[in-house]
Amino acid sequence: MIAFERFGKRFGAQVAVEALSLRVGTGEVFALLGPNGSGKTTSLKAAAGLIAPTSGAVLLGEPPRPAVDPAARDVCSFLPQKVSFPDALTGLEVVHFYARLRGAPRSRARDVLEFTALNGAGARAVGTYSGGMIQRLGLAVASIPGAAVLLLDEPTASLDPVGLQAFHVLVEQHRRDGRTVFFTSHQLDDVERLADRIAILVEGRLIATFTRTELTGQLADRGVMRLVLGRRPADLAERLTALAPRATLEGDELVVPGPASRRPGVIAGLQDLGVDIRSLTAEEGRLDAFYRELIGDPP
Amino acid sequence: MATPGRLATIGLFASQELTLAVRSRWTAIFAVVFAALALAVGGSGYILTGGLGLQDFARTASSLVQVVLLLVPLTALLIGVQALATERGAAELLFAQPVARGTVVVGKLLGLFQALAAAQAIGFGAAGLVIFSQAGQEGAGGFAVLVAGSLALTAIFLGLAAFIAAGNVGRRARALALALVTWFVAVVLFDIAALGVASLLRSGHASRLLVAAVLLNPVDAVRTGTLLGIEGDAAFGAASLAFFRIAGGRTWAASALLLSVAVWSVAPVALAIWRLRRADL
Repeated sequence: MIAFERFGKRFGAQVAVEALSLRVGTGEVFALLGPNGSGKTTSLKAAAGLIAPTSGAVLLGEPPRPAVDPAARDVCSFLPQKVSFPDALTGLEVVHFYARLRGAPRSRARDVLEFTALNGAGARAVGTYSGGMIQRLGLAVASIPGAAVLLLDEPTASLDPVGLQAFHVLVEQHRRDGRTVFFTSHQLDDVERLADRIAILVEGRLIATFTRTELTGQLADRGVMRLVLGRRPADLAERLTALAPRATLEGDELVVPGPASRRPGVIAGLQDLGVDIRSLTAEEGRLDAFYRELIGDPP
Repeated sequence: MATPGRLATIGLFASQELTLAVRSRWTAIFAVVFAALALAVGGSGYILTGGLGLQDFARTASSLVQVVLLLVPLTALLIGVQALATERGAAELLFAQPVARGTVVVGKLLGLFQALAAAQAIGFGAAGLVIFSQAGQEGAGGFAVLVAGSLALTAIFLGLAAFIAAGNVGRRARALALALVTWFVAVVLFDIAALGVASLLRSGHASRLLVAAVLLNPVDAVRTGTLLGIEGDAAFGAASLAFFRIAGGRTWAASALLLSVAVWSVAPVALAIWRLRRADL
């Protein structure tokens, strides 16, 4: 549905994206993560046909066509990071305009305004809207065509709680309908909650991609169990090598990294060794910590 | 969902731009100022004739030429750039639609042209009505030539505004500054520079330079054409006179001027589309 084929983009001497190869399939909710300036927005804009590749290609739809071809963009709808509209138009006029542009029925305008909780403000000029309302209006416009591909650049960055809820509903609707959502974000909660697959860009290069299952596994591996021990055998440290090779013992505290599934076995093993466990805490791996680890940013 | 055809899409953009221009205070200010100046110029004939009556259409049109040459390019450039050099977020949303960039530009320009033509119609119409009621319809043809010249300048400078805006998406302040520089060069500096350089050359070269100046600068081309249409070569300056003599007659002069105006009306729009197609947004 979206294919980056060794996509590269330079702005003068600056390399924004280098040889990005990535496929986003039909019905996938795909998140693109990365620090500022990593090439996320450039890649998304290339998929929206706003940026022409310096090398490689970005293709949309079935059969695949270059995203810079206006006809290819029939299948997609794009919401920029900081959307804006003419102040003098009303919300309803804006939505009507884009509905007509996309060949959508007039009734669709009312539907999307209602969906983004702007139906009460539809008759007001956009110039009187708050920042959150403008972003919601952008979401309304992006959802007009019911496009097969939804491209969203940091959609939740400026959304108010009402808009955030509308965004989540929109993504879930697309997932249910088998349509594709490709979005960039710094909001790791949204990514973890919504994305079926995640790709991470650093300095214009793709450094990792994960499915939701793979990500869950990676986060589980980064879980930690902490036990405060009482009475224990003198050679516990040596015996731990067999029981939990990555565990470390510091004073009375035993730290056992690894997924939750392994923890009962470790606890049973410790009890078999005659260890007195006074207290136990466990925490799961967090996406933000994992993300920082991947991009080489220490916590 | 079937997207509309190219002509319908152009109409959609034109209609939205017309709505925006009608609601813009800048268009309203232009309409009021233009009407006030047209009426003032028309009314000044009453004073010049010692209170005996207004000057006819032809004389009023001659007096209005300078107002048109100063005000219309400035307004078309400023209102055009204001409308076309949109904020980045608006441009990104718009150009991500399944519509060719050229279609967007042409549609917006059509809407802006309609709005500015309507604003000018108020001024010309008010002045025309006053003159007709007082002095009859004599010389109305010259007045019509002035209206045509004004519309040509509107089209030309809207095209130049599109060209400036195409290279300055999301940089409206820069685009406005460039628009002002363009106006100053075309309306003020170009003639002074051409006459200054011509005064340093020998007669033959100077004449050729002045002829080129008339055809190369759209303001000079419209000025020469409009004055030619109103009262022949009687009110020509040095450059227009040199051009008229070398053209060898009214027909050839008018044809060359029309060609210049046609090229100036189309070329900036074509270049704006070409520039925008290549631009990363």
